[in-house]
Amino acid sequence: MIIRFPVYGLTSQHPPMPHHRLGGHAARKRIPVDISLEVNGRTENLDVEPGVTLLDALRERLDVTGPKKGCDRGQCGACTVHVGGRPVLSCLTLVATVREPVTTVDGLATGDALHPVQQAFVDQDALQCGFCTSGQIMSAVAAVEQDVDDVREFMSGNLCRCSAYPNIVAAIEQVRRADAVV
Amino acid sequence: MTTTRIDAPLKVTGRARYGSDHNLPGMLYGHVMTSTIANGEIVAMDVAAAQAAPGVVAVYTPFDPLTLRTPTTPMLGDTWVPLQDRTVTHYGQPVAFVVAETYEQARDASALVEVSYDERPARTSLAGNLELAEDAPPGLDGEPSSSVVLAEGVESIEDALASSPVVVGGRYSTPTQNHAAMEPHSAVAHWDADGLTVYSGNQGAFVQQADLAAALEVDPSAVHTVNPFVGGAFGGKGRTSVPAFLAAAASRALGRPVKAALSREQVFTATANRPETLQEITLGADRDGTLIAVRHDSWCSADTDRSFVEPTSATSRVAYRTPNLAVSQKVVPLHIPRTTFMRAPGEAPGSFALESAMDELAVALDMDPIELRLRNGSLGPAGSDLQWSSKYLDDCYRIGAEHFGWSSRTPTGRREGDWLVGMGTATAMFPALRFPTTTEITLQADDTALVSVGGSDPGTGLLTVMALLGAEALDLGPERITPRLGLSAYPPGGMSGGSTATASVGSAIVAAASAVLEELQSLASAPDAPFAGQDVTYADGRVLGGGRSMTFGELLSALGRDTISAIGSAAPGEEMTKHSFSSFGAQFCEVRVHRWTGDVRVSRMLGVFDAGRIVNDQAARSQLKGGMIWGVSAALHEGLEIEDDGRLANGDLAGYLLPVNADIPEIDVQFVQHPDTLHNPVGARGIGEIGVVGMAAAVANAVYNATGVRVRHTPITIEDLLEGLPS
Repeated sequence: MIIRFPVYGLTSQHPPMPHHRLGGHAARKRIPVDISLEVNGRTENLDVEPGVTLLDALRERLDVTGPKKGCDRGQCGACTVHVGGRPVLSCLTLVATVREPVTTVDGLATGDALHPVQQAFVDQDALQCGFCTSGQIMSAVAAVEQDVDDVREFMSGNLCRCSAYPNIVAAIEQVRRADAVV
Repeated sequence: MTTTRIDAPLKVTGRARYGSDHNLPGMLYGHVMTSTIANGEIVAMDVAAAQAAPGVVAVYTPFDPLTLRTPTTPMLGDTWVPLQDRTVTHYGQPVAFVVAETYEQARDASALVEVSYDERPARTSLAGNLELAEDAPPGLDGEPSSSVVLAEGVESIEDALASSPVVVGGRYSTPTQNHAAMEPHSAVAHWDADGLTVYSGNQGAFVQQADLAAALEVDPSAVHTVNPFVGGAFGGKGRTSVPAFLAAAASRALGRPVKAALSREQVFTATANRPETLQEITLGADRDGTLIAVRHDSWCSADTDRSFVEPTSATSRVAYRTPNLAVSQKVVPLHIPRTTFMRAPGEAPGSFALESAMDELAVALDMDPIELRLRNGSLGPAGSDLQWSSKYLDDCYRIGAEHFGWSSRTPTGRREGDWLVGMGTATAMFPALRFPTTTEITLQADDTALVSVGGSDPGTGLLTVMALLGAEALDLGPERITPRLGLSAYPPGGMSGGSTATASVGSAIVAAASAVLEELQSLASAPDAPFAGQDVTYADGRVLGGGRSMTFGELLSALGRDTISAIGSAAPGEEMTKHSFSSFGAQFCEVRVHRWTGDVRVSRMLGVFDAGRIVNDQAARSQLKGGMIWGVSAALHEGLEIEDDGRLANGDLAGYLLPVNADIPEIDVQFVQHPDTLHNPVGARGIGEIGVVGMAAAVANAVYNATGVRVRHTPITIEDLLEGLPS
């Protein structure tokens, strides 16, 4: 039997799509979007297609590579950044929609002085390979700022395959204890 | 010793650059495309639309391939290279590589390639294809995959079991698993006058250098692999990855740097997985619990090239003392993604089966599971005269039982409101191995030292261990040591694999330090040198002689030298003829099973490990906790579902379940530290894998203790428990 259908490269789990569904893809007119974006305190101007995600804009256009691409589907949390002070998944955010300042793990420290959450991650060994760490830290900063009731639940959108979970909780508790003293 | 991770400040600030974090001028992006059938031939590919798409520079397929040769290494055998033939052997096999100016353009254009297949029926079920089973080849250690040891006068394992007063047995199964390291396989490659440079996370820069040189038919000296940071590996980055081969070859063909990364979905099909296993175990024992006979027959899935065997039956060779033992290992080739090493290969699924069976035997004997294990402790591998060099498993159990409150356990668990609470235990073992390794030590005029090796630290803590052991060997503070790894320019060794890096690199550091200090002293006392003609010694960073001393930096400056360097090598040797070597551990866990919903929550965990000397206490605890969580993951979460046509039902991080923070309780790790200097001069045995071993069984045994339901497969789901829960 010979079957004929396109390779579906983007999400190989999807059933094959009929040919005509993809036929117009290449012919579609591409309209770049001018964007002005504040990233870690710097204003950046970009000229990108509308489908570009915040994550790919940061990593591939602006060389801000702290946020990581672990899944590109909002399933792992490694791409977590703050937009307007709120944690968002930058892989599920189109850069053209971003209006508020963006903070990534790269912009968290003040000069050589680590943010207290960064320092706590070092102290508590809350990382191993470090690939999920930038996302973990951005979620952890939010957990501290929001003074969340259930740290484990709040942090459950950030996968860590090295499984530093108990140490991540300990890092957040270290910062909360220090804040309580102040 | 304990110190925070040396690379932690870089990792918490985003400054640690992993493979795909490199952006080079003029860089192109490659996107891999994968097959939508599991078995067949590619008849034709239409790439016209993709080639015409915006920004596309090249489309490579088996009809218009990038030439790649198959690399072969003694440890890994052949490594598959993509796009070289038109036969499809599994769903999700790379079949094209589209290169464009931007990532989005490459990705979008890849959807325009059309493939015509001549599809054949796929075989994907292990249980449904046991008639295809083949005897597994001998293991890496040369041990035959099947063997029988019988006591004098016993005719067969069947006779030994038949004459055993108590016999238990069962069929256990574990699913296909994926390493799911957070960093998908990726690479950035470029060529210049010096040859090829590749940034791509892997388990040993020198391994990747050799693979790429062979695949691209260039001299290894023209291949420079750079990966000081690796976003997790767990065995899944031992072989050079598809994006690394393709980016390197495309970059050569196009004369521009190329970046390529697998999508998360492609990681599940275009790298390699842990095989699925079926295991049949029968244990025969005397009424006092003394084992009389052990039989362990295993089948594992494999890809059609049979590139890997998951040696689960080997677990029964080492764990317990028995006069009669029969083990066999078979492999079943299927149309599934390739299979490979994954954290504790053999031991992880093998210990699930054996340690569950031991728990069943304890129940049948009405005996404490710890007492049963202690009664049958092994002195060495079955059939070998070489006893364990150092074994304190009994201490692990004694300390663990005390700290965990094991004495409060009842044979039928306890009830707290709607929660059924149970405790389980299991033995963990992992062989102590090391590989030939060379390190270089450089003493510098500023009184610091460099310690370099081409291996990798994918989260293991090797970099920090190198600073600590370098400091010890050079009699300096660790802050004066700069450890360096992850470059093929450094000496070969220290591959992250087999829980070997600390013992391997540590031994080579001892040798290199000895060589460089000898060189230093000989320079110091040479004619016209500051200590000319004198007997000199070295301590605390200083050369001493004739009643005075200089730091090595001062001495180098006086000699007009910036540095002196020496290499040192170490490899397994005569000790292998005298002892067998293994790490040991006792795993404990408590689970709470909801009596109405069957929901299983792990509420407490403890692991007590006898792994020789622990070099860096903090990172060692972290690594073992991570391993134990992998055991929970195996027990309750992860398993790849391969459908009849070869598709993966759950090949992404939404469907392939991994524990999240809320799934994991506080974990306690304790060490019984007896440096094993019979194994290596540092006295450390590996800890990277043993944390996983036994924990899935400990969870399953705790579930049995809580509910009375014995589940002989992983992952254990609510459906497995609902029917059997006590009313």
